[in-house]
Amino acid sequence: MSRVKLTEYRAKKILLGDEYQGSAATRTHMPSLSDGSYVAKVDQGIKKRMKQGLVALNVAPAGVDKHFVEWEKKGFSNFIIEPMLAHEASEERYVSFERVRDGIRVLFAREGGIEIEEHPEKVETLVMRGADDASVVSEKTGIPEAFLKTVLKAFDEDFFAFLEINPLVVKEGAAHLLDAAVLVDSAAQFFAKSWGASDIVKARAKHPAEEAVEALAATTPASLKLNVIDPESSLFFLLSSGGGSIVIADEAELRGVGKEIGNYGEYSGGPTREETYLYAKEVIGLMLGSKKKKKALVIAGGVANFTDVKTTFGGIIDALSEKSEELKEQSVKVYVRRGGPNEAAGLALMRAFLEKTGLLGAVYGSESVITSAVDDAIDYLKS
Amino acid sequence: MNFLEKIRGGEDGIVVLGSHPRIMQSMLDFDYLSGKKEPSIVAIVTGARKAHKCFWGRKEILIPCYAKASMVPATIAPRVRWMLNVQSGRRAYESTVAFFDAFPEALGGHIFAENVPEKHATELISRYGGSKLIAGPSGVGLFVARHLKLGAIGGIDTTQILSSKLTTEGSVAVVSTSGGMTNELVHGVAASGKAVSFAFTIGGDRFPITSLSQVLALAEADPQTKALAYFGELGGEDEYEIVELLKSGRFTKPVIAYIAGIIDEAFDEHMQFGHAKALVARKDESARAKREALRAAGAIAPDTFPEFLAAFQDTRGGDIVASMGNADELKGRQASILSTRQITDTENAPNYVKDGKLAAQTDSFTAQILSALLGRKPKSATTIAFADAAFSLLIDHGGAVSGAVNTMITARAGKDMVSSLASGLLTVGPRFGGAINEGAKNWLTGAKSGMSAKEYVEAETKAGRLILGIGHKKYRVGIPDPRVAALSQFATLLKVHPHYDFAREVEEVTTAKSGSLILNVDGVIAALFIDILVECEGFTEAQIKELIDAEFFNAFFIIPRSVGFIAHFLEQKQNDEGLFRLPEELLFTRKPDA
Repeated sequence: MSRVKLTEYRAKKILLGDEYQGSAATRTHMPSLSDGSYVAKVDQGIKKRMKQGLVALNVAPAGVDKHFVEWEKKGFSNFIIEPMLAHEASEERYVSFERVRDGIRVLFAREGGIEIEEHPEKVETLVMRGADDASVVSEKTGIPEAFLKTVLKAFDEDFFAFLEINPLVVKEGAAHLLDAAVLVDSAAQFFAKSWGASDIVKARAKHPAEEAVEALAATTPASLKLNVIDPESSLFFLLSSGGGSIVIADEAELRGVGKEIGNYGEYSGGPTREETYLYAKEVIGLMLGSKKKKKALVIAGGVANFTDVKTTFGGIIDALSEKSEELKEQSVKVYVRRGGPNEAAGLALMRAFLEKTGLLGAVYGSESVITSAVDDAIDYLKS
Repeated sequence: MNFLEKIRGGEDGIVVLGSHPRIMQSMLDFDYLSGKKEPSIVAIVTGARKAHKCFWGRKEILIPCYAKASMVPATIAPRVRWMLNVQSGRRAYESTVAFFDAFPEALGGHIFAENVPEKHATELISRYGGSKLIAGPSGVGLFVARHLKLGAIGGIDTTQILSSKLTTEGSVAVVSTSGGMTNELVHGVAASGKAVSFAFTIGGDRFPITSLSQVLALAEADPQTKALAYFGELGGEDEYEIVELLKSGRFTKPVIAYIAGIIDEAFDEHMQFGHAKALVARKDESARAKREALRAAGAIAPDTFPEFLAAFQDTRGGDIVASMGNADELKGRQASILSTRQITDTENAPNYVKDGKLAAQTDSFTAQILSALLGRKPKSATTIAFADAAFSLLIDHGGAVSGAVNTMITARAGKDMVSSLASGLLTVGPRFGGAINEGAKNWLTGAKSGMSAKEYVEAETKAGRLILGIGHKKYRVGIPDPRVAALSQFATLLKVHPHYDFAREVEEVTTAKSGSLILNVDGVIAALFIDILVECEGFTEAQIKELIDAEFFNAFFIIPRSVGFIAHFLEQKQNDEGLFRLPEELLFTRKPDA
């Protein structure tokens, strides 16, 4: 479904196998280090770590923990420790691989280093269709061909989507990966042999509502997604269908209330009444937590192909009715636009419920434009 | 290849891989409302069952199911042009390849699953990307107005099918990355007073099998299409393909586009939206950049969705209005429990007595029983005579056998006829009376295995299995079972009788071990019945196997033996000996240790 980041430790372990000298570490699980000089880094898929001070060079074993303590204060918990490799800037190369429609696209440059993004003119592109193309890249960059072939094999067999090695240090004919970033295809987790769910980086601390929806989504073939954007907002969404939900959010941005959006996400793919209830409950809980004086809930989506409007609205009504008193006290209005199977029955049910509880903003069906509900909600918030 | 022309020419046969009853029903409703004579779905590939019941109009029909695409029979295969793959992301790749291996001439299909690995998608592209028309992975499929609905596209209930004018041939092509928005656009076109020529969901995945530019080429070449409505999202570079086609003059029809994702500008960091490729990685993949590039190339690309919808009304080209069906006709349909057999004609009773005399009957009782069991009238007198013989020989074997004992004991406990009969019938199983069907299975598999009887017996013995249909308590070599001898005469009425021959060969091997291991009455009925059904009734081996799976052959024990049990019941009631109790001396009681 999407491309997700692998930890640097797992990425290098897959690419280098037993030759890899680095270790994964947390403050409670420190590898035993022999005397020498080490590099310690945060391993949570963070970009531009050097610039953010999340990399420590030339550290003695005794000095590692001091950095970990400092990084933990910034909210990080997973680290990587590798032996320090002294090298010249002239030994640095850049190479990245990406799965594209007709093969694997390789970007490479003889000069690597962290500044490569500022010099796109130095980067060459080639779409590789087989391992034979490795010799061309090898010739142009001096990266050993055998190493490129190993990388390509791992890329293919382990369902990599993207791999960037920057810098790649070539020293006496051998390749060393100073930094490696790998995106794998999360849809391939079932087929991949060398990585699993525990090797995927969790980029940021999740909101409890997001975690609850994620756990729910793992147990159903339907699609349930929730991103909490700003809990202290006034516009909350119960959206359905991937494309339609963007159109509705776009309308909020176009009308100047993009910053008022509290959450984003969707339920689609035919969830059951119970699943929709559990999903809606999280969004409603989030909304009740916001201290804004006036709030609007937009229940909207396109004209569904097969998600049943009556069934899913049944679940949403179950969740709303649990909190209908509080919602009314907080001046929440509910705006609805939806079409699809059992549309008339679903809309009638929703309208009757909202009228009874005094939460009614507006209810529209497929005869109205998809943005009708969000437009009315914005008018209410602006009034 | 002009796919649209072929579809409009009637090449619409679909095989569904996996099962999604509501989507399939919507496709049949579309076919029906479009005035088609036959449903487009010709077969379903699923291991779960033999047939799937759907509505065709108000009538119910059965669509045959097969365990593999390669098993779809030659009677159906020539109609197959399309695949609807509703299997999971894990199975999508292998099942798609298996389909096109079985139907290399098929035109294309739709892969419904989300979560198809990128690598599988690119492998499918290298196999079929250039030659087939395949919507997905993900999305809702494709439809050509009035001619083909492949997937959930356009909705699944009849109200949607008609309100979105799916059965009206129009002039606007709808192309979208998003399944939900495909429907929204189709609906919007209909609401503006126009209708759609064809609609295609590219799917939100990173690597759609048929690419956007391939679909655009289709729209450009289609004389019926006068304009293109397109829905795209932030992320990916597909829209630059449209820009290129417009700039180079390879796409000449008006393009009305909406690119969603302006909202991304409100967020601090790029967000992963619902679809896989909707993550902005480079600047030019933003919604705003793509919208502006399209405008610069001459497309109409409004800022807001309402403006986008309004632009449909300005497209040129009139609709070709085709006949639309009546949705009311499809309301309130009630699914039945599948039952097609009507055994007796209650409307027309025959004349039993004519002119004060008994009238000759065309069908004997046995012939009518066979009609009921086979679902059609038996063709041959041999079949009827054989069944009649089997029935007669199996009515009763005396009061000592397990089932009769149970019937009698139950009767003496004061129970009624049905309880006593049921008690006897519930005894029927692998050791008592249930051997005919097992025997049939033995002879069918044995005769086609290519093994000699000797090898077959050895294999069965090695596996620790008894060969049902062989062996008798009383009769043995030298004292032949007269019933077996009598039934065996039926073999002389047949041209060939391979199953009977095989059973006899097996008997030769087993009697060499023990004289009591002769072909018994169950075994000979099973063997000859198969030979008769094949030769006199035209059954195929597969049909015989189907009968065995449904336990057909045991009916020839259960039916006559029910008569025998009832006879034992009646006798017990007439004698009325009171409650039966097993005599103490028959019980083996363990004495407490001294």
